[in-house]
Amino acid sequence: MSTRSDAAVTPTLRSGAGAMGRAVEVIARYTLYVVLGVLFLLPFVWMFFGSVRREIEIHGYMFPFSINTIVPVEWTLQNFLDIYGISEEGEKGGLRFHRGLLNSGIIAAAVVGLSMLFNTMAAYFFARLPFPRKNLLLAFVLATFLLPFEVTVVPLYLVVSELGLRDTYLAMIVPFYASPFIVFMLTQFLGSIPKELDEAALVDGANYWQILWSVVFPNALPALATAALIEFQFIWNLFYWPLIATSSLDLQVIQVMIASQTTDRTIYWGRTFAGLVSAVLPVLLLFLGCQRFYFRGAVLSGMK
Amino acid sequence: MSAVVAARSARRRLLTLQRRRYLVALLFVLPALLNFLVFRYIPMALAAQASLYDYSLLAGWGDFVLWKNFVRAFEDDIFRTSLWVSIKYAIGKVPLQVLFALLLALFVSREVRGMGVIRTIIFIPVVTSLVVAALLWSMMYNKDLGLLQSLLGVFGLRHPGLLSSSTWALPAIVVMMVWKEVGFSTIIFVAGLKGIPTMFYDAAAIDGANRLQQFLYITLPLLKPITLFIVVTQTISAMQVFVPIFVMTQGGPFFATNAVVYYIYQNGFHYNDMGYASAMSFFILALLVTVAYFQFKLLKGNVEY
Repeated sequence: MSTRSDAAVTPTLRSGAGAMGRAVEVIARYTLYVVLGVLFLLPFVWMFFGSVRREIEIHGYMFPFSINTIVPVEWTLQNFLDIYGISEEGEKGGLRFHRGLLNSGIIAAAVVGLSMLFNTMAAYFFARLPFPRKNLLLAFVLATFLLPFEVTVVPLYLVVSELGLRDTYLAMIVPFYASPFIVFMLTQFLGSIPKELDEAALVDGANYWQILWSVVFPNALPALATAALIEFQFIWNLFYWPLIATSSLDLQVIQVMIASQTTDRTIYWGRTFAGLVSAVLPVLLLFLGCQRFYFRGAVLSGMK
Repeated sequence: MSAVVAARSARRRLLTLQRRRYLVALLFVLPALLNFLVFRYIPMALAAQASLYDYSLLAGWGDFVLWKNFVRAFEDDIFRTSLWVSIKYAIGKVPLQVLFALLLALFVSREVRGMGVIRTIIFIPVVTSLVVAALLWSMMYNKDLGLLQSLLGVFGLRHPGLLSSSTWALPAIVVMMVWKEVGFSTIIFVAGLKGIPTMFYDAAAIDGANRLQQFLYITLPLLKPITLFIVVTQTISAMQVFVPIFVMTQGGPFFATNAVVYYIYQNGFHYNDMGYASAMSFFILALLVTVAYFQFKLLKGNVEY
């Protein structure tokens, strides 16, 4: 694949010392790879290895810096047994990160499921159904882009309290069953599917609902996958809203749990690392497995 | 006669048919619209109302106080300081992130061996939750047991405990956040770079322009709309910084990192003063919506090239 950067590089190299210049370029490039790799990955490597070694070992090898500052000498799953309340110590300490993971999982599954349904329906309406002055309704959706989320959390709390949803699973699910951004993104996408398909189905006597599920839906799978992944990441990583919307420990999501376990004065490093790993792993694995969806999502959400 | 009646009733039937079709169509969008109305628009209205009352979570709606909460905000030194903290944070973070993202994008947009892996690596912090990133970095910043001190120790250096220093806490959070979010801006820049037609560079190369000239006179001007977009959206999100403050410093030391959203949170949920928190939310909201509005104006018809 020839790109503009290659085209930009080639003349300089040709005028330079040929093979020599190319070798220098490659070495410089790989050096930069290593620098960037260390810069962006080292904290994670430290975290992963820290989660599978004993607390005392983390502290013992911290100074002076050596390979064992990062890599464990003795590997153990004790930290995970502790935070999931499986080991005796963990049970005694009231650690139940499995509960946090379960809560986050339930909420994420509900939100992703519901939002796929309602966002797709809304996008189908905007992209393909007849309605007078649809643009006004679309403007109603798009104007919410102007509302900054963190600032609207306190007002949202007032509404959720008035609805009597405070401190329930529903408080973390209902406000997110539809997303203006996802509606907009899917509208763009559904608009690009040929309309003749709908018309043919209409002639065959299908109703809108049937057309959505049998014609539009199968054609929109990549866009729906992108939307589902963005939504999952958003809801799994959400912190501020669950922090204030719920107060009972039984409803704590994993992000709130790891934050509340470690803002105490006594920090258990090994357990904290294990908690961080638990909180980050589902999203990380999804990202590594489906990267192109994430990059597309980033470009779409970044450029609107 | 009967033909006219028939035509009229046919038209009426068509009209009701169309109306029914609209109604069915509306059912598809209604749930989503209801969500946005209840959870995005009504909160604003309720916040506006709450800001005019003494309102607390425990006592509920108290006296109508008109402008008292707003007047109080303007006279509140801590509110003003917190606004200033958020502004300082944005001024520190946004240019750093944009510059770093642009440089990274110029590097990672090249389609050469290994670059896909690098793009993945710089995007990992982006998908990581903010809580995880903030906790991880506060452990790295720990002055006795942190990885940063361990690394500095190799060069015989000591850092003063970054998060407990009122000088260094905010910059330390800025560095963490740039690390976390730079990948996002980078990917957007990469998309922008890939959108620049190759022939521009070919033509410039034929005219004898060197790479620096190509960058200055082709790349940079064509990236301007995207850069502007990133700057404005990042500024708005930076002004709302909350999670890293909550996790890493709790606003301290001595209010040095007491950003405005954190201060609002404290008032609403710790000092139990929802009316005042709403008034401040409303003020910041108005400020940011104004900025966002100008951003949309500014970018309208400016994105295509």
